[in-house]
Amino acid sequence: MTSLDVSTDAARRPLEGRRLRFGDLLLQGVAAIAALGALVLVGLILWKVISGSRVAISQFGLAFIWHTTWDPVHNVFGAGTLLYGTLVTSVGALLLATPIAIGIALFLTELAPGAIRGPVTALVETLAALPSVVIGLWGLLVLAPILRDHVNPALHSVLGFIPLFGPPGTYGSNLFTAIIVLTIMILPIIASISRELFLAVPGELKEGALGLGTTRWEMTRGVVFSYSRGGVVAAMILGYGRAIGEAIAVALVCGAVTGISVNLFNPGYTLAAIIANNYQGSSSGLELSSLIYCALILLVFSILVNLLAQFVIRRSARRLGRQS
Amino acid sequence: MPRNGKLVRMGLVVAAAAAIAVVVVATAGTASARSSSGSVTGAGSTFVAPLVAKWVSPVQQDLGLQLSYNAVGSGGGVSAITNKQVNFGASDAPLTQFSPTCTSCVQIPWALAATGVIYNLGSLQHLNMTGQVLAQIYMGKITKWNAPAIQKLNKGASLPGTSITVVHRSDSSGTSYNFTDYLSHVSGSWKSGPGTGTAVDWPTGEGEKGSSGVAGAVRTTSGAIGYVDVYYAVHNHLGLFKMKNRSGNFVQPRAKGIQAAAALDTHPAKDGSLSIVNPPKSKKYRNAYPICTYTYVDVQKSSGSDAANIKKLLNWAVTKGQSYGPAIIFEPLPKSVAAFDKKQIKKIQS
Repeated sequence: MTSLDVSTDAARRPLEGRRLRFGDLLLQGVAAIAALGALVLVGLILWKVISGSRVAISQFGLAFIWHTTWDPVHNVFGAGTLLYGTLVTSVGALLLATPIAIGIALFLTELAPGAIRGPVTALVETLAALPSVVIGLWGLLVLAPILRDHVNPALHSVLGFIPLFGPPGTYGSNLFTAIIVLTIMILPIIASISRELFLAVPGELKEGALGLGTTRWEMTRGVVFSYSRGGVVAAMILGYGRAIGEAIAVALVCGAVTGISVNLFNPGYTLAAIIANNYQGSSSGLELSSLIYCALILLVFSILVNLLAQFVIRRSARRLGRQS
Repeated sequence: MPRNGKLVRMGLVVAAAAAIAVVVVATAGTASARSSSGSVTGAGSTFVAPLVAKWVSPVQQDLGLQLSYNAVGSGGGVSAITNKQVNFGASDAPLTQFSPTCTSCVQIPWALAATGVIYNLGSLQHLNMTGQVLAQIYMGKITKWNAPAIQKLNKGASLPGTSITVVHRSDSSGTSYNFTDYLSHVSGSWKSGPGTGTAVDWPTGEGEKGSSGVAGAVRTTSGAIGYVDVYYAVHNHLGLFKMKNRSGNFVQPRAKGIQAAAALDTHPAKDGSLSIVNPPKSKKYRNAYPICTYTYVDVQKSSGSDAANIKKLLNWAVTKGQSYGPAIIFEPLPKSVAAFDKKQIKKIQS
């Protein structure tokens, strides 16, 4: 531990004992401006969002967060449904995407024959580059009917005892379709970062473990996973961030209906989707303000998720440090 | 470490290439915009989009103007023109329906068409429907196709026991305004419930984005019902209801029905708005289709250097442009409305 501290200490004072050169100063300046810029930007957005939502906050207060009505004609707004929809779709997508993504990453780093690694990697990364509106339209016109007619009834017949998998309705656009679309969108993010992480695991460690007589799975679990645990959590958080913020694709397939229904096969709504749908052409100043209030909730929610992730990563890094 | 170095270097190369590409495209863009000085940009209603699409090439030929239109929905159109992001906004709902709205705009009724109520029941293509039953379906009170109320209107048709899947717009939409305005006219419980608006608190159903979203969902869902501009209905080969008007006739949303309804209001109010929903019982409106609407173009009164081009385009649109309508079920504006429009267009200044 002490030796580690010394080395980081030295790294923090790279210029000591050396003449300050112009290039170093420039680098320091540019980097500092970039970092500050990000901070200022978030600050400005937060300020703008808070000032924009003031009307809705004074009208509805904190009750806005759990009320489930969204009625532009009678000017009654609440984000309950939207918050629920955002939580359900993002968590659902994360739960589905993570194991598949880690599977893809493991396959590409440990198991796949060399010849197919390149093409498959490229394909996975292409998936990440697909525009969300394309995935959304495909979800609406192709995926939704298939899920509604074949997958949802099957899931209901097997898992129907769980309220989430209630009777499959006739609605193609619903929370479950949104979950699947989001899964497809965050899968490549988690997969390609995990792949990089697994590649970074030192070969000596893996060979050492295999040399001790572990099976490939034991080596993967003991060496690859524990070495890259913090990073994989970070990758999951990055994917989760995309899932809670995705607007267009979800707006196309979520069903856009307020009112909380536990059954995933019923239409729902998310914070980002309602902003995308109604920000342009809101029917009253109060609706506009309520939409910005939704953005505020989304922003606070994302910040909380990020803080939680930092906490998890730091804890897992500390545990790893203690083990070694 | 060498791996990382390589990665960083590759990243820099990619970033530099992207930056160069952006600069090249941007300069090319401004260059081409300069070379063809006449261009008019608009955004808004998906309802009127098929007509505007028909106009693009004759506008290029007749006026030498490049017309570009972004069908983002009426609400999107009104906010785009309010913020002066485009030369014109198009909306099926009058400006008074929006807040914030464009207070420095002139509102010009520039097209006339109908909202069709579409459904997907295979070969059953032209069923009858009344406003009261439609309101009950959209309130979730009638949920099966073979419900007695629907069967009574369609004696002889073998209606299936399929569930009715209600589809509506999810974005702020002038078509929704036209549709809910009609439902409020014919149903007291709709009026006191969800009411009239570009977006309302729908009691049931699923929401889809844009006319094409609604048409797409209805096309892929057996037993679905939705509402779109008539052209989308015909284009998608979906079932289209004959709606009962107040004279007791079941009418198709076609030329005759729309023209008859348009006769209800041929003199726009001072702000340019007109209302022709659900004409009363009379010999004059015997063949009127009850869910018709004028759709509007909104332009800033002071439009700067683009004013001349905008006026040129609009004067063409309310006269010669009307002749491109009937092929896609937009009916020509009545003479009095076209005359009013010309006066409105004069208000646009640089």
